[in-house]
Amino acid sequence: MGAFIVRRMLQMLLVLFVISLFTFVVMRAVPGGPFSSEKSLPPRTLAQLEAKYNLDEPLVMQYIHYIGDIAIPHITENRLENSVLNDYLINIYIPVVDRTFRWMNFGPSYKSVSQTVNSIIKDTLPVSATLGIGALLVALVIGVPAGIIAALNRNSRWDYIAMGVSIVGVSIPVIVLGPVLRYVFGVQLKWLPPTGWGGIEHIIMPAFALGFAESARLARLTRASLLQVLNEDYIRTARAKGLAERVVVGLHALKNAMLPVVTTIGPLFAFLITGSFVAELVFGIPGLGKFFVTSITNRDYPVIMGTTLLLGFLVIVANLIVDVVYVWLDPRIKYD
Amino acid sequence: MTSNLKRSTAAAAIPGLNAETKPESLWRSSVQRLTRNRSAVVGLAIILLTILVAVFAPQLAPMDYKTQVLSDANTAPRWVTQVFPVMRPADDGGYVKINETYLLGADRLGRDLFSRIIYGTRVSLMVAFVGPLVALIVGLTLGLVSGYVGGWVDNVIMRFTDIMYAFPTLLLVILLMSFFRSSLGNVEPGTFAFQVGELDRASGGMLFIFIGVGLTSWMQTARLTRGQVLFVREQEYITAARAIGSPTWPILTRHILPNILGPIVVAETLTIPRYISFEAFLSFIGLGVNPPTPSWGAMISEGAGAISTYPNQAIFPALALFLVMFSFNFLGDGLRDALDPRMRGIE
Amino acid sequence: MKRRTLQYSRFLALLLVFALMVGVVSAQGDRKVLVDAGNAVGASDVPTLDPSLATDTSSIQVLIETNPGLTRINEVTLETEPSMATWTVSDDGLVYTFSIMPEVPWVKYNAETDAVEQVLDENGNVRYVTAEDFAYGIRRSIGGQLGSYYGGIMASWVVNGDAVYAGELPVEELGVEVLDTYTLQITASKPAAFLSTIFGMWQAYAQPAWVIEEYGDFWYEPESFQGYGPFTLKEWIHGESITIIKNPFWPGTENIPVPALDEVKMMVLEASAALANFEAGAADVSIVPLSDIDRIQADPVLSEAYYVGPGSCTYIYGINTAKPPLDDARVRQALSMSINRQALIDNVTKGGQQPAFFFARPSLAAAPHQEDYPEYVLGEDVEVARELLQSYLDERGITLDQMEPITLAHNESEGHARIAQAIQQMWTEALGITVEIQTQEWAVYLETIKSDDAPQVFRYGWCLDYPDAHNFLFDVFDSQVRELGINWNNEDAAEFDSLVEQAMVEPDMQTRTDLYAQAENLLTNKDAAIIPIYYYTSLNLTQPWVQRTHSQFGQEYFEKWDIDLSARP
Repeated sequence: MGAFIVRRMLQMLLVLFVISLFTFVVMRAVPGGPFSSEKSLPPRTLAQLEAKYNLDEPLVMQYIHYIGDIAIPHITENRLENSVLNDYLINIYIPVVDRTFRWMNFGPSYKSVSQTVNSIIKDTLPVSATLGIGALLVALVIGVPAGIIAALNRNSRWDYIAMGVSIVGVSIPVIVLGPVLRYVFGVQLKWLPPTGWGGIEHIIMPAFALGFAESARLARLTRASLLQVLNEDYIRTARAKGLAERVVVGLHALKNAMLPVVTTIGPLFAFLITGSFVAELVFGIPGLGKFFVTSITNRDYPVIMGTTLLLGFLVIVANLIVDVVYVWLDPRIKYD
Repeated sequence: MTSNLKRSTAAAAIPGLNAETKPESLWRSSVQRLTRNRSAVVGLAIILLTILVAVFAPQLAPMDYKTQVLSDANTAPRWVTQVFPVMRPADDGGYVKINETYLLGADRLGRDLFSRIIYGTRVSLMVAFVGPLVALIVGLTLGLVSGYVGGWVDNVIMRFTDIMYAFPTLLLVILLMSFFRSSLGNVEPGTFAFQVGELDRASGGMLFIFIGVGLTSWMQTARLTRGQVLFVREQEYITAARAIGSPTWPILTRHILPNILGPIVVAETLTIPRYISFEAFLSFIGLGVNPPTPSWGAMISEGAGAISTYPNQAIFPALALFLVMFSFNFLGDGLRDALDPRMRGIE
Repeated sequence: MKRRTLQYSRFLALLLVFALMVGVVSAQGDRKVLVDAGNAVGASDVPTLDPSLATDTSSIQVLIETNPGLTRINEVTLETEPSMATWTVSDDGLVYTFSIMPEVPWVKYNAETDAVEQVLDENGNVRYVTAEDFAYGIRRSIGGQLGSYYGGIMASWVVNGDAVYAGELPVEELGVEVLDTYTLQITASKPAAFLSTIFGMWQAYAQPAWVIEEYGDFWYEPESFQGYGPFTLKEWIHGESITIIKNPFWPGTENIPVPALDEVKMMVLEASAALANFEAGAADVSIVPLSDIDRIQADPVLSEAYYVGPGSCTYIYGINTAKPPLDDARVRQALSMSINRQALIDNVTKGGQQPAFFFARPSLAAAPHQEDYPEYVLGEDVEVARELLQSYLDERGITLDQMEPITLAHNESEGHARIAQAIQQMWTEALGITVEIQTQEWAVYLETIKSDDAPQVFRYGWCLDYPDAHNFLFDVFDSQVRELGINWNNEDAAEFDSLVEQAMVEPDMQTRTDLYAQAENLLTNKDAAIIPIYYYTSLNLTQPWVQRTHSQFGQEYFEKWDIDLSARP
């Protein structure tokens, strides 16, 4: 198992490299540049900006420099010039040589001029992650029990209610649910602040708006999977042995039924914590999703690259965890 | 239909082996079981009806979907204002002009909402079919191979899936669109790019939505399928089938596929609104269908901006979406039950 | 009995919670904190607070309060008035001498003490804003090789500016001279009526050299930011809000009084989220989402808070005059004449905008008013439009069906889409032509409309940098600087160039206005290379307890605002 994880981590580096290359090529092939605006910059102004951000080099060199800034560790002076061009994620002081070890510079933002990709992610990822975990909790707390109840009482009233609600949830896009929640609870009832970020009262509405649809998905997936497992031979055997229904369901069936659910949760988690553009816009949340989507429309190249790599990293780690959980849930699965 | 009792009396035959001796009957009995499931039949009926609506939209719609009567913009019939109390009628100190010509009201440009919903069925149904189709063709195949063959093949396929997961699809859609929407670019007639652009225009701008949906749809299916295969692969009847030397392909299609389809079909039907939301999101950022072509996603995302003033403009298309979703889910459940070999003989 | 006690204690607990909440509110309540959901709206973040790099309205809104310029624009009259300095101009109109207000200290917000403090120099003396600080700001914008957009604009007006901007001359050669501590002299490269305005813009604000040298690219983050205006920067939560706090050391002048507000918190919000905050009472000022105007106007409370005033931009459709059938002026005129602008405003844009037939807004200095020059106004007339189109078709000997299809392009936004679809229908109804609408993603769109292969008809808007007709007619359409792909290169275009270039240096206001009117005639009437559609209005909602001014140029002067605490709930 340990060797498996190590191997996957190494493969992750390769995958991230391919993602970065793909994204770089597509990003630079798209028309429009980071400095386009309604009042477009005169050529001489553009030239200065391109020189500042090394955009005047050949594309290949730009990519090599970009990857180099991230991958290659630097040993530098302890105090660097205060520039958005040298903001490293990892800075470790080495006392012996009185210099500093620096690693992973993801570059500056072209649009938020005093920000770097590192500083944007440091500011926004905790926000998005908090919201994402909230949404995931909503999804799990509502979805999984609803699915179990529906499966155990198949074709009963409870089944229909649980599934009916879940279809409602999955059919209402966040873009409708969000403003409706904001209007009802924020404007009319004034129970919660309509927008903003900071306290627990700010998390409730967006987490619900994001989590409700996912809870519906999880509920139905849990139900379907549990129904399938309940028909397995070993469950029948367990029942035949006269084990209590609660033990049969709780111990045997549920554990196996969680497999598809876990598969879904992995990437879902990665997506939720990297932020939702729509929810952040509707509820005025300073999260990563907003920066990611606007970086694409702004052609803010380093921010596009940085957020894509972050998403890639999280997806890969989440999927790795899913694979490990598979083995735990079903010991018959082996990775060679 | 409390099935606990019936399930315990079900035949204890090993389903996989059963299926191998009489392979055709598996699918035929599936169809029989599906048609016996009342809610699934209702779902199927509604979907077929929706398809008919899409096909015969010009005959069914009371008005043209693109004719604007600017002076009628945002008007609504009285019953709508009664359903949505926010919409106080103008003759009652409010702001909504009453106009009974439009069944569900008129949109912000004075176009009939009802007719636009009817025409919008076309784009939305296409999206609802294209997404799962790509997901099943690409995702299911890759997942099956990956999970069953394992080893380095599994590894390569799954890492590719990881790459596509993380890749910003939005960027690719923008690129393709700016490249192919040729009437604005420098594309010569007769070239490939020009023809793709023409195709897009002929479809009212749907082509790139399909590409976007297709690109994002299959990864989850692939991973889910692989997970299911990993689980089923180690079951006794599969090991048995392998032990007696059955070739790979029949094992995949006869033993594994029927046993894993349930959660996958359910997951796919549940993902349909995500495709439609993606279409709405593309419209939201300006990469959707060309106006005035209506689509539910675009109508919902446009209406959402006015939800506290004219809720009918977002809620009615959302209701249409809800109805179709409901049908797809009923059908999905029915399919799941019908395709599950272990459910045979239960009904 | 026991049950009653329980209920009673529950009630007490509830009361306690309420008391705490009220306590929190009143702790803020005795300070005048304005929550503004109207001036940083839409952006994902305020991009920068570097005066040399600022180009967008939200950045400039903050800077205009923290670092006032030498001169500034009156928000109502749009005239240029003294700000940090008074000035004299030499007889040839080239040498501007600014006398800067003495002993205005640089200040900084200290988060630990929660107070604004004066900045001391290395000797422990208070640092005052000097001519040197202004000269530093100007030199940095023009000669700093920073890629400063407005530095580039200003460069062409200052002696040696262009060469310094290009790095061909050292920055000392720039026509900016410090005569003494509080006297600054700027020598212009050519005279113009609006130079005092340009020298008062943000790229020419005073900048703290000592901070910039120490903190580099991060100098304007709240930890290091220094200002001197009526407010200074307190807090900046990227992507959420930016807060400015009253500067107690601001002396107050006739034009820039001591602020009554203690703080202004500008929220970065999308329009409907801003309105939701306003309706919930969580914001004092809000912008107005287009879709909600009907409800706002009918609502007894909201309609009282609703304000419509002149805006700062013009909305137009540009035409690529090289693409048939729009290569003929008659077709272009027909398109312009068959738009019912008032119907568009009443039913689609709704914000009380003014129908436009000229490009330059009438509120600008030297801009001709369309009602004063009726002979230059194309006007609206569907009958004439049909005749024009028919005569074009007859001349080519084709029918309407044989005419090339017309594409109308706009960048994606709900508002532009509505306008385009309404105009598409107007053209179809009036002229029988079919128009295809194409939308493009913003950055792609900009590239498209600035190429020679621009779509036949495309949306464009222009907002003022400084309130002079020159900023519209010369800066957008003179062939030296023109970027829009209208391909307008005939002799009328050459005459247009000479008219706006003549008006640039002409001292007499009436003569300038006449020259601009003739230029408008060529651009919008005779050649109809663009179709002006409407002049923007500025719409906002203000709570009844806020006393305010309404600016006509895009930024507000918060030092003239106040909150009536007794009226605030």
